[in-house]
Amino acid sequence: MTLDAATELDSVPPSADRPSAWLLVVAVIAALILGAVAGVLLLRPESTPGNASAEAGFARDMSVHHSQAVNMAFMVYDATEDEEIRRLAYDIINTQRAQIGMFSGWLQQWDLTQTSTAAPMAWADHSHEGPMVSYDDMPGMATDEQLAELEAASGVEAERLFLELMTEHHRGGVEMAEAVVPLTNREEVQRLAQTIVTGQSGEIEYMQDLLAERQ
Amino acid sequence: MKSKRSVLTGWVVLGVVIASALTACGADEPAAPTPAAQPDAVQLGEVVTFPDLTRDHSEDDIDYPQSPPVGGDHDPAWLDCNGVVYDEPVRDENAVHSLEHGAVWITYQPDVDAGDIDELRAKVDGGQYIFMSPYPDQNAPIMATAWGVQLAVASADDAALADFVQEYSQGSQTPEPGATCDGGVML
Repeated sequence: MTLDAATELDSVPPSADRPSAWLLVVAVIAALILGAVAGVLLLRPESTPGNASAEAGFARDMSVHHSQAVNMAFMVYDATEDEEIRRLAYDIINTQRAQIGMFSGWLQQWDLTQTSTAAPMAWADHSHEGPMVSYDDMPGMATDEQLAELEAASGVEAERLFLELMTEHHRGGVEMAEAVVPLTNREEVQRLAQTIVTGQSGEIEYMQDLLAERQ
Repeated sequence: MKSKRSVLTGWVVLGVVIASALTACGADEPAAPTPAAQPDAVQLGEVVTFPDLTRDHSEDDIDYPQSPPVGGDHDPAWLDCNGVVYDEPVRDENAVHSLEHGAVWITYQPDVDAGDIDELRAKVDGGQYIFMSPYPDQNAPIMATAWGVQLAVASADDAALADFVQEYSQGSQTPEPGATCDGGVML
């Protein structure tokens, strides 16, 4: 407030000024209260995903999916001395293991259990395909026989088998990540799902090059 | 439930209207002068963003449009980037892979003040998802680069540099969240 304005206010007779000043005070208090209410409503955290939500299903199923990738990567890491394959395996082990930690962290923050009794992929509404009874039915999962074959293989044979199995596994991972994007508006889920789509798509391309070099 | 919500909405709207009216009443004070635009060739202290970067693996040498590069295709092997101080220039194609993994790359012109280099070294050495190297071809004394973002500063103690590291080391721009900075290649 400038000096002039203050002088001007002082010169106005108090009796004439009072009512409008009170009105202003009441209006300011009302505005503050309403503003606070609006703030609480606007900033209130959204309710977190529920037990049967797509987000929870994705987090749980993708953890299982990633775990198999980590296991296969360990197998090929032990089965070959090839530097490129071992680096790819090392990358997959670390990245997907860290992402499993992110899925687990979401479920903890949402106050949900890490596993559920829901059928695999039930969250993705693949009803036309019938209910899945086993995690092995999830897109791109290797069978127990294929895993045993990889475990038994060594050298370039193990490398080829790994690249083939991991390519299929990544294609399935991309399919699952793409499935959750339209089903969620949670930023952390969309962001990680998108990075899985682009990251694993890129790795599929790279693995095709590595496979071609080994034919 | 619905009617309760619409009543609440009504109050909120009323509150916002009153609040804006009061704000408008108080708005006759002179506005602060807008700072003049800085016409520097290299914008110091401003984070520049580079969208839509490709990210395929390639063992070829790549001609990147920025110095240092901010992203794009890269070598299958990432450069070790957990607090590593490289005293010689590193290979762009490996360093870009480290950016993809979420690292911040601190670079400096080789003739920059020795005290600045020591200060950068102290910030980087032993850290996580951060590495540094000299970069003779860059157009600012000190630069910080993460995937798709870059900052140029004049000195190591510029607060914008610390802010950049905090924001972008494993930041939300990271294309591969969770990827590691260990187990790659050294120089």
